[in-house]
Amino acid sequence: MRRIFYLVLLILSVNLALGSDVKKVAPKAPLVVKIDTAQHPSIRSFDKETLRKYSKQREFNYEGPATGTSWWVYFWDRFWNWFMHLFNVRGLGILGIIWNIIWLLLLFGGVAAIVYFILKASGVDVQDIFKRKSKATAVPYSEFFEDINHIDFDTEIENAVAKHNYRFAVRLLYLKCLKQLSDAGMITWEIDKTNTQYIYELKDQGQRTAFSSLTRQFEFVWYGEFIIDNQVYLSIAGAFRNFNQQKP
Amino acid sequence: MEEEEIFKQRTDLSKLTAAVDQIKASIGKVIVGQHETIDLLIAGILADGHILIEGVPGVAKTLTAKLIARSIDAKYSRIQFTPDLMPSDVLGTSVFNPKTVDFEFKRGPIFGNIVLIDEINRSPAKTQSALFEVMEERQVTIDGQRYAMEEPFLVLATQNPVEHEGTYRLPEAQLDRFLFKIEVKYPTFEEEVAIITQQHQQVATEQLAAISPVLSKEEIIALRKQVRSLHIEPKILEFVAKIAAETRNSKSLYLGASPRASLAIVNAAKAVAAIRGRDFVTPDDVIWVTPAVLRHRIMLTPDKEMEGVSPDEVIKQIVQKIEVPR
Repeated sequence: MRRIFYLVLLILSVNLALGSDVKKVAPKAPLVVKIDTAQHPSIRSFDKETLRKYSKQREFNYEGPATGTSWWVYFWDRFWNWFMHLFNVRGLGILGIIWNIIWLLLLFGGVAAIVYFILKASGVDVQDIFKRKSKATAVPYSEFFEDINHIDFDTEIENAVAKHNYRFAVRLLYLKCLKQLSDAGMITWEIDKTNTQYIYELKDQGQRTAFSSLTRQFEFVWYGEFIIDNQVYLSIAGAFRNFNQQKP
Repeated sequence: MEEEEIFKQRTDLSKLTAAVDQIKASIGKVIVGQHETIDLLIAGILADGHILIEGVPGVAKTLTAKLIARSIDAKYSRIQFTPDLMPSDVLGTSVFNPKTVDFEFKRGPIFGNIVLIDEINRSPAKTQSALFEVMEERQVTIDGQRYAMEEPFLVLATQNPVEHEGTYRLPEAQLDRFLFKIEVKYPTFEEEVAIITQQHQQVATEQLAAISPVLSKEEIIALRKQVRSLHIEPKILEFVAKIAAETRNSKSLYLGASPRASLAIVNAAKAVAAIRGRDFVTPDDVIWVTPAVLRHRIMLTPDKEMEGVSPDEVIKQIVQKIEVPR
C-alpha cells in the first residue's frame, strides 16, 4: 500500500515538473532607445517679470519672517530658529556624536537647574509637583496642645469651682495629677499617650489601682460628660487628694 | 458616695456585654488565642460593618468567621470565590420558567444575613465589582428591579495576602466598603501547643458541634441601634478627623483615608466602648480600632513600599503625632 502511495506521489511530482516547462515566458521585444537628432535645441527661460512678482509674495519668502508680520510672530520665529539650531548635528563622526550628546545633556541640565532654583526660591516643594497629591492642609494642633508644665493648676481649679464648672475642675485635677506623676519620674509625659498607657507605666500595684480609679472617674466626667454637682466634685477631689498624699 | 451611684450608665448595656461574653466563651472553646481578632469581629457586627480577614493559609480565618456566623441565629450563606466565578453566580440571575412562560429571578448566595466569602481575592475585578452595590447600599439591582437585603446584612470575607500565588488585588472602592481588615497572625508557641493538644484530644470537633446561636437577628438589630446612640465627646470627634486629615497630608502615603473611614472609626470606637461596658467613647477606643479601620484604605507611596514599611507602622506614626484629647 505504501509502495503504491509513493509511486503515485512520484508520478504526480514528475507531472508537475513537466507542466512547469509548458508555462514558458514569451520573449520580449528588444528595447529601442530614441536619440535626439536636433542640432540646436532651444533653451527656454523663466519670465523675469513673473519671477519678481512671485518673489514679492509673502508665501515665497523663505529667509525669515515675512514683512509686515507682528512682533509676536517674529519673536516666536526667531525663538524656534534658535531652538532648532541647538539640535543641529555637529558632525557625524564619533567625536561629533559624543559632542552632541554632551551638549544636549549640559543644555537640559542647565535648564532643569534654573527651573529647580526658581521653584526652590519661590517655596514650592519640587517633589510634590510630580506626585498626584492634594495640597496639604494645616491641621490646627495648637488648639489641642496644652502644656501641663505651664498651667497654674490651683488658681485654675479655684476659678472653675467658683464658676460651678465642676467638669472642667475635674479635668484640671487629673492633669495636675499627671504632672505630679511626671515630675516624680513615675510616668513619662507624652502628648500621644492615653490614660491607660500612663496606668501601665506605674510600677507600684497599689498606685496603679488607685490611679485606675481616678482615671475612670475623670473619663466618666470628661469623655462621658456626666453632669456632676458640688457634692460629687468634692468626693472626686478628695480621692485625688488621697492619691497625692499616698505618693512616695 | 460609691462610683456606681455617681456614674450610673445612661444606656443599659448589660444584655450586650452578657451576649459578648457568651460569644467569646463559646468561640474560645474552639479557637485558641486570637482575642483581638474575635473582639474586632464582634465590634464589626455591632457597628454594622463588613469585615475582611487576612492571613496566611492555615491560621483558622475561615473557622473563626464560621464560628462567629454560627453564634448568630440568622440565614448564613457561603460563597467560595474562584477565578472563573461570574457576577451572576454571586447576585443571581433571571431564569426562564416554561410553566409560567416568563423569566423569574433566581436569587444568588449573596441573599443571606451573614455571607461568608471565602478567599475573596481569588476572583478578578469583574466579580468583585458585583459586590459594590450590595455592600454599600444593601441592595441588588438586576434587570431594572431592586432587591433589598434583609437586615442584618454582614459580609465576612477571608483572603490570603496579595503576594500569594493566584490572588488579585481588590479594588480600592471595594476595600473602602469593609469596616475592618483584620490581620490574623501566627499563634504564639504556647498557643500552638494548645491547638495541637486540643486537636489530638478531638476536643475542638466536639465543641464546634456544640456551638449554638447566642443572638437572634432582632437582637442584633436592637444592639446596633443601642451602639449607635452611645455618647462621643466633640473633642474625640475632632481627634478622629485629625487622624484622617493627617493621613491625607502624610508624605508616606499616596492615598489617605476617606470620610467614610472617619465615620467607620467613630462607629467602631462606639462598638468597642459598648463591649468594654461604657456608654461613651474614650481616646483608647479610637486608637485601638484605628489600624484595623485604616490599614486597607490607605496606600503607601512606592518608595515606602520598596523600603518594606507596613501600613500599620505609618498609621502608628500618624497617631503618635496627634495629641490625645484630655
